[in-house]
Amino acid sequence: MNLNLPAFLLQTALLLLLSPLVTGCIRNWKAKLQNRRGPRVWQPYFDLAKCLRKDRVISEHASWIFSAAPCVLFFSSLLAGLMTPLVTTSPPLSLFGDALAVVGLLALGRFFLALGGLDPASAFGGMGSSREMSIAAVAEPALMLSIFTVAIGAGSTDLGRIVTVAQGPGWQLLAPAHLMAFAALFVVLLAETGRIPVDNPATHLELTMIHEAMLLEYSGRDLALMEWGASVKQLVLMAILSNIFVPIGLATGHSISDLALGLAVFVAKILLLSAGVVLVETVNAKLRLFRVPDLLSAAFVLATLALFSTFLFGIK
Amino acid sequence: MNTDALSSAIASQLVMLFAALMLVLQLLLVAQQMLLVAVRLYALQSLMLTAIAGVVAYYYNAPHVYIVAVLTLAGKVVFLPWLLNRIVRDIKIHKEVEPLLNAATSTLICLGLAVLGFIVARPFTTLERLGSNTLAIAVTLLLTGFFLMFNRRKAITQVLALLTVENGIMLAAIALTSYGMPLVVEIGIFFDVLVAVMVLGILVYRIRESFDSVDTAKLTRLKG
Repeated sequence: MNLNLPAFLLQTALLLLLSPLVTGCIRNWKAKLQNRRGPRVWQPYFDLAKCLRKDRVISEHASWIFSAAPCVLFFSSLLAGLMTPLVTTSPPLSLFGDALAVVGLLALGRFFLALGGLDPASAFGGMGSSREMSIAAVAEPALMLSIFTVAIGAGSTDLGRIVTVAQGPGWQLLAPAHLMAFAALFVVLLAETGRIPVDNPATHLELTMIHEAMLLEYSGRDLALMEWGASVKQLVLMAILSNIFVPIGLATGHSISDLALGLAVFVAKILLLSAGVVLVETVNAKLRLFRVPDLLSAAFVLATLALFSTFLFGIK
Repeated sequence: MNTDALSSAIASQLVMLFAALMLVLQLLLVAQQMLLVAVRLYALQSLMLTAIAGVVAYYYNAPHVYIVAVLTLAGKVVFLPWLLNRIVRDIKIHKEVEPLLNAATSTLICLGLAVLGFIVARPFTTLERLGSNTLAIAVTLLLTGFFLMFNRRKAITQVLALLTVENGIMLAAIALTSYGMPLVVEIGIFFDVLVAVMVLGILVYRIRESFDSVDTAKLTRLKG
């Protein structure tokens, strides 16, 4: 098994091109549900293109970390995406890392995002970073535990292997452990992508923003990389959630028809999941910041219970 | 795989699924502060119990378990929640002001209790029988029910906690014994709970009348 260059390039292109679309769909559908017309589905592409063309303004107090953070965030998300099975069961970089590496890369991106918020010494950025880290401290264990729950069933932490086992016979889709892990991972998805019960992606209100607070000082192509990296990360998490728990239609071979079918099913699953996120965002109010740990600790408890029930109920 | 083995596999998966949902609902109940929502969660939990009874009755073809299912449905999904709803509306207290421990801490403690329940029940779960694994969840419901009872101050929530404990016992009774317990025992337990809740309901009214509150922490002094 060596590096498959076409697969590598194709998956990179898919990650980069599909992720703004997902963000755009979520924004558009959310607006529709609230009886607004909303921005067009492909608006994020235009935003990115515009930001990439523009000059950037950097605070004179900022150090090199400020400029490095967007690149680190962008490339760590992209690398994590290349280790995640999207369309085929064998992701191009699966040789280089498993689920732990994916979680670690996402954590690295978040670390630099928080540093980038702190670096220009603006009050809002620091506040956003501190909030982001305190939420991540609870969300990350829940993410790990839910992935471990399925990893135990598959006997491997390799995401490609997990998906392959999940496609085989004897995999119980409705096992309680899987349902609990799915629910926990969904809450983690909402928290990590800054969705409404945890963070409001559409606000610039000082008291409530988390993700936006860290991006306040960024402009030009740095902002574009930050936004793009965040949407790639969102796509990666969604892919993990949908492909591990609903491993339908992933291509096992490399023939064109397999890949086309896999791509169609993948896009359908991601859009369906986005619709779920939109529904949750629309029917829920944003939680008070001090109530967020309650929600996340519920996710953590669910994930732990899921892990324990794999031993109790003996999946496989 | 023949149809018998298949139906057995499906039945045990369904029982496990519903039992796990009962546990999840219990945890939501522990984190919940609004009394009306808590009552609704309890009703849902009882509905899961009804579903388990239905599956067990169908699988073993045992008519008296159907009766238990119907009784559970009528009593614990419809009647008791309705009664508790009425009490909550009458005493006009909709929110548990402050539990002794906050939601995050109490869910974590319940996680510990669940792990304890799982460990305790582990030696008994190797039996290759329908729903034998639900013992762990029954024990957990029992433990978390007791925890809920002393974590809350309002008499209503304490009644709810008692009811979830009883749900745990019923779960063990239905899913663990091969045909459920004898009907007489089931009906006995059922009416015990029914009467207990009605008496407790009246007691809640009385507490409120004489103390202007349903906070049981205030019941430390005798009033003349």
